[in-house]
Amino acid sequence: MTTTVATTSIRTEERASLLGRVLGSPLARLIARRILIATPLLLAISILVFAMLEAIPGDPARNQAGMDATEEQVEAVRKQMGLDRPAVERYLTWLGGFVTGNLGRSSVSEQPVTSLLAERMPVTIELVALAFLVSLAIAIPVALLAARKPGGVFDRVVMVISMTLLAVPNYVMALLLVLVFAVTLRSLPAIGYVSLDDGLLANLRSVTLPVLALAIPLACFYARFLRGDLVEQMNSADYVETARAKGVTPWKVLWGHAFRNSSFGLLTLVGLNIGGLVGGTVIVEQIFSMPGLGVLMLQGVMSRDTAVVQICVFIFAAVAVLANLVVDVMYAVLDPRIRYGHR
Amino acid sequence: MAIADASIGAALVPSDAVSRNERWARIRRRLVVWVPAGSVTFLLLLCFVGPFVLPLPSPIGGSVLDSGLPPGTAGHPLGTDVNGNDVLSRLIYGGRASLTIAIATNVIGLVVGGGIGAVSGFLGGKADTVIMRALDVLIAFPSLVLTIAIAQILGPSVPNTILALSAFSVPAVARIARSATLKIANMPFIQAAELSGSTTWRTLTRHVVPNITPQMLNFALLGMGIVIVTEGALSFLGMGIPAPAPSWGNMIFEGQQSLSATPLLVLWPSLALLVTVLSFNMLGENVRDEMSGR
Repeated sequence: MTTTVATTSIRTEERASLLGRVLGSPLARLIARRILIATPLLLAISILVFAMLEAIPGDPARNQAGMDATEEQVEAVRKQMGLDRPAVERYLTWLGGFVTGNLGRSSVSEQPVTSLLAERMPVTIELVALAFLVSLAIAIPVALLAARKPGGVFDRVVMVISMTLLAVPNYVMALLLVLVFAVTLRSLPAIGYVSLDDGLLANLRSVTLPVLALAIPLACFYARFLRGDLVEQMNSADYVETARAKGVTPWKVLWGHAFRNSSFGLLTLVGLNIGGLVGGTVIVEQIFSMPGLGVLMLQGVMSRDTAVVQICVFIFAAVAVLANLVVDVMYAVLDPRIRYGHR
Repeated sequence: MAIADASIGAALVPSDAVSRNERWARIRRRLVVWVPAGSVTFLLLLCFVGPFVLPLPSPIGGSVLDSGLPPGTAGHPLGTDVNGNDVLSRLIYGGRASLTIAIATNVIGLVVGGGIGAVSGFLGGKADTVIMRALDVLIAFPSLVLTIAIAQILGPSVPNTILALSAFSVPAVARIARSATLKIANMPFIQAAELSGSTTWRTLTRHVVPNITPQMLNFALLGMGIVIVTEGALSFLGMGIPAPAPSWGNMIFEGQQSLSATPLLVLWPSLALLVTVLSFNMLGENVRDEMSGR
C-alpha cells in the first residue's frame, strides 16, 4: 500500500521534473522570450496598418454607395459598414474578429475575407516555395563549383553574371522572361494561373515564368554569399586544415566539411529573405496576372477595400516577423552557445 | 600576419613574376573602383547637366503623328514611344527623377536615421529600447508593401515618393548607425572625452558622428540601388512619379503594353536601370571591401 503510493509519487515527481526540465530548458525559455517580443510587435503592426488605412484619402462609404447616392443613402451605408463608430472601437472589433477567425467581408466583391484568403494564399505560397527551391537548386551547386577554384575561370564568370543579374529588378526580369519565352519562343504562357486541379503539368507551366522572375535574383544572391563563405572557410578554418592533413580529398573537404558549416549561414539568409520575397511577389503576381495575395492587396489598396488590405498587409508583415523568429530559434537549436546566452 | 605571409611567399617566387602579378593585381584593384565610379559620375552628369546642354526634345507633349518612330530617325536617336515622345529625352529626364529621389531618400535616411541611431545607441537604456522597438515595427514590413501603403495615402508625386521610400531607409540606416555607435561607445577616446568634461551633445557630434560617418555613407551607397529599384516598382504600379512625367518605372510599364510589337521601349529603360543599379552596387561593394581592408 505504502509502496504504491511512494512509487506513484516518485513517478509524478519524475514527470514533473521532466516537464520542468523541458519548460525550464534554455531553448524553451528562448522560444518563450522570442514569442513575448513578437506578440506586441505584431499587435503594433496591426495598429499601424489600421491607422494607415484610416489615413488613405477618400470615403469608403461613398465608394460603396456609388457616386450618385444621396447624402442619406451614404449615411445609411456608413452605418451598415460600421464606419460611424469611433476608430478605436472599430480596431478592437477587427482584433476580436481576427482572433475568432471572422475577418469581415470585402466591400468590393462582398465575399467573406476568409474565403478570399483561402482562395488566394495557396497561389502565393506556391510561388514563394518554388522560388526558394529553384534558387537554392541553382545557387548551391554553382557556389560549390565556383569555390572549388577561387579566381578560376568558372568562378569569375559566375561572379560577373551573378553581379549583373543581381542588379536586374524582378519586374524587369519578369518582362525579359516574357519577351524570351512567351513572345519570341512561344513556349510558355505569359499570363494567367492554372490551378493544380487542372493537372500538375499545366499548373507548373503557368507558374514557371513568375517563379523564375523571383528565383533568379535570389539565386545570384545566395550563390555569391555561399561562395564567399565557402572560400573563407577553406582558407582559414582549422577543421579544414585538419581534414586536409588526414588526407581527405579537396572536393570532400569542400562538400562534406566547409559546406556543412556554410549551410548554417545560408539558412539564416533564406529565413531573413522570406519577408522580402513575399513582398516581391506583389509586383510579379501583378505582371503575370497571378490570383495571389499580392494582387489581392494591390486591388484592395486601389479600391480602398479596408477589410482585405488590413489582413493582407498584416500577413505580409507577420510572415517576416515569424520567419525571423524561426531563424533565431533554429540558430539556438543548432548552436548551444546561443541557447545558453553566450552571445 | 597576412603581410608576413605575403612577404614569405614573395621571397620564394622569382621576383619579376611577383612584380608582374602584383602590378596586374594593383591595376585590377584600381579598375574595379574607378570603372563604377566613372560610370556613376557619367550618369549623374548625363541626367543633371544633360538636359541643359544637350539638344534634347521635350520629354512630354509629343505629337501622335510622331508615335512609334524607329531608332535612328533624324532628331530621335532612340526613336519615339507610342505618344510620340523622344525616348532618349525621356530616359534622361526619367533618370534625373530616379536619381533625385534616390539621393533625397538616402540623405533623409542618413540625417534622420543616422541621427536616431546614434542618439539611441549612445544614450542606451529605456530610450534606446523604445526607439528600437518602434523602428522594428517599420522594419518588419516588406519594403514594397510599406511604400505602396504610404504612397497610396500621400498620392503620386515626387516629394511623396521620397517620403514613402524614406519609411524604410530611415529605420534601416538607424539600425546600422546604432550598432556602429555601440561598437565605439566604450572605446577609450570616448571615455577620455567624457572625463575631460565634454557634454553628451559634444561627445556625440564631435566624436561619435565623425567615427560612424564613413560606414553610414557606404551603407547609403549600397542603398542607392535598392531605392532606385523600389522607386521603379512604385512608378511601374502607377504610385510613384505620375505620368506623363517620365520615370524608368512608368516607361517600362508603358512599354509593357506593346511588349511584343516594340520590345525596345521596355529594353531601353530596363538597360538604364540595370547600368545605374550595377554601377552603384559595384562602387558600394568595392568601397566596403577597401574600408574593411581586404
